[in-house]
Amino acid sequence: MIKLVTEEEIEQVAKFMKIDVHDHKEYVEKVHDMIDFFDILDSAGVEDEEVTMTDLPLSKLREDKHIPFEDKLIEKLKNYKEHYVRAPKMV
Amino acid sequence: MNLKISALEYVEQVKNGNISAEDFVSATIDRIKNVDDKLHAFLQVNSKAVEQAAQVDKKVKSGEKVGSCFGMPISIKDNICIKHSKTTCASKMLENFVAPYDATVISKLKEQDAVFIGKANLDEFAMGLTTEFSAYGPSRNPWNTDYVPGGSSGGSAVSVSAFECVASLGSDTGGSVRNPASFCSTVGYKPTYGLISRYGLISYANSIEQIGPITRTVKDTAFMLNILSGLDSHDNTTIDNENVDYLSGIEAGIEGKKIGIIQEMIGEGIDHTVLSATNDAVSKLEGLGAICEPISIDMVKYSVASYYTITATEAGSNLARYDNLRYGYDFPVEGFEFNSYISKARTKFGPEVIRRMILGGFVPSSGHAGKYFLKSLKVKSKLTREVTEAFKKYDFLVAPTVPILPFKIGEKIDDPVALFQVDINTVMSNLTGVPSISVPYAISNGLPIGIQLLAKQNDDKSLLQAAHALETTVNLPEVPI
Amino acid sequence: MTKIGLEIHCQLTKLESKLFCSCKANYRENKPNSNVCPICMGLPGTLPRLNKKAVEKATLIAMALNCSTPEKIAFFRKNYFYPDLPKNFQITQLNIYGDTSVGGTGEIMVGDKKIRITRIQLEEDPGRLIYEGSSSKNQITLVDYNRAGTPLVEIVTEPDFENPKQVREFLKILSDLLENLNVSDPSLEGAMRADANVSIEGGNKVEIKNINSFHDLEKAVHFEITRQESLYSRDIPIALETRHWDDQRKITISSRSKEEDLDYRYFLEGDIPWVRIGKDIQEKLKSEMPESIMSKKERYVTKYNIPEQVADVLSSDKYYSDLFDKSNDEQNAKEIANIITTDLMGLVDTREKREQSKLTSSHLRDLADSIQSEKLTRNSAKNALYEIVKSGKDLSEIISQLDLGNVSDENELLQIIQQVLSEEPQAAEEAKSNPQTINFLVGKVMQKTKGKADPKLTLELFKKKLG
Repeated sequence: MIKLVTEEEIEQVAKFMKIDVHDHKEYVEKVHDMIDFFDILDSAGVEDEEVTMTDLPLSKLREDKHIPFEDKLIEKLKNYKEHYVRAPKMV
Repeated sequence: MNLKISALEYVEQVKNGNISAEDFVSATIDRIKNVDDKLHAFLQVNSKAVEQAAQVDKKVKSGEKVGSCFGMPISIKDNICIKHSKTTCASKMLENFVAPYDATVISKLKEQDAVFIGKANLDEFAMGLTTEFSAYGPSRNPWNTDYVPGGSSGGSAVSVSAFECVASLGSDTGGSVRNPASFCSTVGYKPTYGLISRYGLISYANSIEQIGPITRTVKDTAFMLNILSGLDSHDNTTIDNENVDYLSGIEAGIEGKKIGIIQEMIGEGIDHTVLSATNDAVSKLEGLGAICEPISIDMVKYSVASYYTITATEAGSNLARYDNLRYGYDFPVEGFEFNSYISKARTKFGPEVIRRMILGGFVPSSGHAGKYFLKSLKVKSKLTREVTEAFKKYDFLVAPTVPILPFKIGEKIDDPVALFQVDINTVMSNLTGVPSISVPYAISNGLPIGIQLLAKQNDDKSLLQAAHALETTVNLPEVPI
Repeated sequence: MTKIGLEIHCQLTKLESKLFCSCKANYRENKPNSNVCPICMGLPGTLPRLNKKAVEKATLIAMALNCSTPEKIAFFRKNYFYPDLPKNFQITQLNIYGDTSVGGTGEIMVGDKKIRITRIQLEEDPGRLIYEGSSSKNQITLVDYNRAGTPLVEIVTEPDFENPKQVREFLKILSDLLENLNVSDPSLEGAMRADANVSIEGGNKVEIKNINSFHDLEKAVHFEITRQESLYSRDIPIALETRHWDDQRKITISSRSKEEDLDYRYFLEGDIPWVRIGKDIQEKLKSEMPESIMSKKERYVTKYNIPEQVADVLSSDKYYSDLFDKSNDEQNAKEIANIITTDLMGLVDTREKREQSKLTSSHLRDLADSIQSEKLTRNSAKNALYEIVKSGKDLSEIISQLDLGNVSDENELLQIIQQVLSEEPQAAEEAKSNPQTINFLVGKVMQKTKGKADPKLTLELFKKKLG
């Protein structure tokens, strides 16, 4: 069977999803099998189907009111001098 | 102290003063100490549980108003947030995450004086159906500890089945409540999408998942639903159930009801003992006055592929926030560039989560969305239409909850596609939003089999009536642990 | 032909709360990370709670820009990793399953040029980054999430602008319109930001990101056209690329990072059902919409007979038009328009000055009435206005305090006239035959009375005197 999805592609996706994958082979093979399994979708014959979702009336949405959070949230998170969140440098 | 009582019995006994909440909870803690080394249902046990139960007893004695749970010990799947307590999702990534707020279901249970006995084990981020993918080790099936308890709410089902609590909350994305309920011989409920608020449930695939109770009896599920259900302003997807009482009239029976037997769920690959249990259940339903007929739902064939595509896509996005910047574990940012830092930080995810992240990056990507993701959404739409049609003709649908018996720990862990197939009977109700329930039905070679009933959207009350009717026909042995 | 398209991000600064939680929409002047909650911090288990008013205000903007407004709107996730995004995706809008953003296509006239609008979408603003550390080893980024989740409306246009002047005119119309709708205060720092795409004849399209004010947007577009034209004239190809606006140096710089995998994997946000904004609700919104600038202008011209240029100035600034509409009673409309557009404008030309000003509409009415009843000269009125803006005191109090009342006592005036005539004998002689010179003499009287002499009476007395 011709593999429609290349290993390079899967490695690329892992990088894109920001996960360092060491043992590529382990993941590549299993993910491959999973993706191959999805090929069954091609025979579902759903091309003309519409994508739908539930809806709700505007009136049900939250009123525009300022209610401060009860706690000092930042103190409960990783923080720098109780003010900032630290991130690595950006290139 | 007899721990082997239902939630309704517990409430009755504490109310009447026959037992105290403190004694019951304390005995439950002892039970956990005795059996949980073997079962590993819990990731964390509440050290203040007995104290909290004693507080409830005080209220009972003083005649103060007491919530309807009367200090009942309930276990909570560890992907539901309890304020000031650790919520790990059974992941190393959230090893130290302490939730700064209560999930809506937790607030509701607190109001009713429930005691949270502990946080239950699960597959990491609820991705799996065996609880083997927990970063803290698998849970074991109390019916046979060599076997998986099902998943992802494995810890929840085990804890109810092995009398380590009276009831539990799990979450069901594609069967994660019903599957372990079936494997552990408990009742497992997946409500109509939107019936129970998801606020505080850590998302895996938010468009289809629901929190659901795991209990000993169908009536207990109705009792829990009375507490948990209803509109919540914190969750825009909740629906108004007009405060239906799910317990009242639960004994209405199913005489004259029409039930469709889903052919795609008892076909190829089904275990013969599961099939015969199903046939037996159908004849019992007929004996109760229901009319049962075979029905075909064509899209079921494609539902698992559609389900995994949609869940991987949503998971890829839902789990993107775990970059270890705002919370997480200790790993300094100095000397790293942003991309390399978070790519390294995220290697704390376990292998199954990583596989699904990769899938979730792939199937909705611009080159592949048309072939995989969009098609899956369309399968979901068509399946929903087919199920809606089916419910025009039938009041309920029936199928085994899982087409096979519980299997051994380690047996399928290396074959993700084989695991996919185990979900075929449960994902339909998630993809279409309809309610479904797994009722313990038989024991084959010492392993449980559950029967699944489904109803149309918002028909949760009738579904519980039908499930209760089926339950009355069953007499099962006690769990051997 | 030069083609310019814009993507304008405008914060809905007049809202109380953020788009998906109840933290303050106005994050300014807060300590870092003090205006945050589990939702806008993207903590596990939280869900967005859509702000109704944000949807209404965004819909109003779409209506005011003549865009189509769908009956159902949907939200999507735009997935990418960045430290200012707490969830590592942004909730925004798109039109991939039909028109489901708050505004669809529309058009607006800029002078006699028609500008097409592609769509208008409602989305959340990210947090803010601060870069720390000097050497590459100790460099880190500090993040403040106070801004994260602020409601943002993005207005996307077709590449219909041909020059920076049209861009400037469009931005003027847009900021006036936003202010008039009372949805946003364009003068707040960071409230209006933009991206632009620019291409000249024969060149590739260049995206410019990171333009942090309307003022710089015009500059950036101008800079980019000049840069591209200069390349073109030297036969250097114009690369298809993304550039960033450097607001220190006021130039565009090629983005170092290749916009690598810019695959946002958009998909529907399942946590927010589609929101129905039926025709009935749309009609209601429309009926509550403030009068448009165009219609105000027309009203001023036809109803009050105010010159077009003056009406233009009055109507396009909500502060002025509100003052005008509140103070005028038709009789004094022209006088009030005159006071606002000649004397007041210099006194309240910035946001700060407007906030500090003590002027009310009744002050304006009193001023106009005093001028019309000749109790005050225009000149004195101007001095009084200055005092009112500063102190907010009543006009009568200011008149007596500063002794601004008209000198209209005939005897007193005659004395001063006599004095002027004796000081200016030559002019006095000339004035008998030349009316222009009388004006000169009246001016002299004004000087002596510090502008308080009743000009009409003074003229009459001169005429009598000179016979």
